[in-house]
Amino acid sequence: MGIKVVKRHGNTLKEKLYLPAVFVGMKTTLSHFITNLSDKPHIKTMNYPEEQPHDISERYRGVHRLTKREDDTVRCVACFMCATACPAECIFIEAEERTDGVDEKMPKRFDIDLLECVFCGACVEACPCDAIRMDSGIFSFIGQKREDFVLTKEQLLAHKEKKQ
Amino acid sequence: MSTLSIFVVIINIVLALLFSLGLAPILVWVERRVAGLIQDRLGPNRCHINGIRLGGLVQSLADMLKLAFKEDFQPKAIQESFFFSLAPVIVFVSAFLSFMVMPFADDLIINGERFIMQGLPTDLGILWFLALAGLSVYGIMLGGWASRSKYSLLGAMRAGAQVISYEAAMGLSVVSLLITYGSIHLGDMVAYQGELLLGFIPAWGIVVQPIATIIFIVTAFAEANRTPFDLAEGESEIVGGFHTEYSAMRFGLFFVGEYVAMSASSALIVTLFFGGYHLPYLNTQTLQSTMPYILGFIILALPVGSFYAMRWIRKHNRWCEAGDVRNRESAFLQKGIIGFNVLVIVGLGALLYLGLTPTSTNVATAVIQISTFAVKLLLMNFVFVWVRWTLPRFRYDQLQTLGWKVLMPLAIANIVISAIIVVVKGL
Repeated sequence: MGIKVVKRHGNTLKEKLYLPAVFVGMKTTLSHFITNLSDKPHIKTMNYPEEQPHDISERYRGVHRLTKREDDTVRCVACFMCATACPAECIFIEAEERTDGVDEKMPKRFDIDLLECVFCGACVEACPCDAIRMDSGIFSFIGQKREDFVLTKEQLLAHKEKKQ
Repeated sequence: MSTLSIFVVIINIVLALLFSLGLAPILVWVERRVAGLIQDRLGPNRCHINGIRLGGLVQSLADMLKLAFKEDFQPKAIQESFFFSLAPVIVFVSAFLSFMVMPFADDLIINGERFIMQGLPTDLGILWFLALAGLSVYGIMLGGWASRSKYSLLGAMRAGAQVISYEAAMGLSVVSLLITYGSIHLGDMVAYQGELLLGFIPAWGIVVQPIATIIFIVTAFAEANRTPFDLAEGESEIVGGFHTEYSAMRFGLFFVGEYVAMSASSALIVTLFFGGYHLPYLNTQTLQSTMPYILGFIILALPVGSFYAMRWIRKHNRWCEAGDVRNRESAFLQKGIIGFNVLVIVGLGALLYLGLTPTSTNVATAVIQISTFAVKLLLMNFVFVWVRWTLPRFRYDQLQTLGWKVLMPLAIANIVISAIIVVVKGL
């Protein structure tokens, strides 16, 4: 292997004067300033609550939702796989017998505490029935008190899949 | 004292207040919006009073209210409570007073009476500025010491050492200017800059004394504690520097004082090096003799400029939601611009139609020169802001090396050279 000699910078008169480099830097910042005042600004930020982000990917893990069968009933069979897989232990399920003949079991209560959830997606991976998903696209969830952040089965069923 | 002289003095004081204190919220706004635009962000643009945002200027008002009504917290460890409160006052007052000797216009002559157009009618000029600009560091050091916090003390020590080393170079660069201009009165210096060099170059300080200009601008940045020399509040190492322990309006005074000091420095730079209140090629005599043409030019140029301003406002002053109250602002601003145009054109037209008397010529000259000074002042303040968002902070040893080993010898050499030139020309 040959030796690569790296050129040292900062020893010429022009570099020691500082001022040429200062002016080059000031030119760069001024060009940004003028561009952003012109008709075609390159501003990367948006007025957030009014303008919503449009580049949320399809695989983004947002707030959970419970999927439904074709007959609009809950798909979950209360197998406790998600609650077992959950590293944050934020899923609370209470099972009951399903009487309409579609399946044997269904959740009576299915709560997710979003304040404990780490949005790892382990519950989605664990589910054998594709009953829980995180594709609602909701990235900001607002509540006034702690209890608001515990999502019930009805709330989870109400979340819709985000259309791309 | 006649009523007229009292009136002119009051006008002068109001102007000085506007240029120093009134400019502070505008500068805070300029700083934040320019920072945003330079970094491809928007900056504060949300705050509004009944839809009027003025590009985010209302945010400064909100910030001021917040500072005034915030809890004025004082840590228990502070024993010298009086000095703790006194420090921001010193910083603010010295910055504010140093603005008082800047001439906004040439001496105004009304009915044979001569008025000096500056906040304080004194001839001390640059000595006054140097004395008071040096005084502001006492406030910083007192505040840093009285805070009883290591960060504050470190920040205050840095500020003290920095100001001492840069004050030397600044004073020496001013000496070479005094040799060239032959006066300490800022009005005389500006009058010198109204002349032409070799018949076609305006004899501005930047042309006559380029090295002194560079030294003075660099040291003015250091005096005003602005980036790249703002080690006194280097937030990456020492939290907030000297104002770590301050809150509410006591911090507010430091904050406003910084902007007033910046404004005063820019005013001095403009006065010393960029022709002060002179338009290029139009010193006071030429301006007065060609006054009808100048007023005619203003009547023609103002609508053209306003047209482009209104077009820009229509295109850019929008809020992203259609029904928002902020969308009404553009129409309001356009009406304001049209009203201002009509007012100015009618006023100037009447003045031209009735014929110019010596007094009205003098007053019109003063108004034009004050506007010129204001524009130059804002441009120089923009340069301060622009540099802040371009350059990173110096390391402390680099700062001292630059001050003592580069700027100081350069300033001394400049004095010798300018003295030789002046003596040789004088023979």
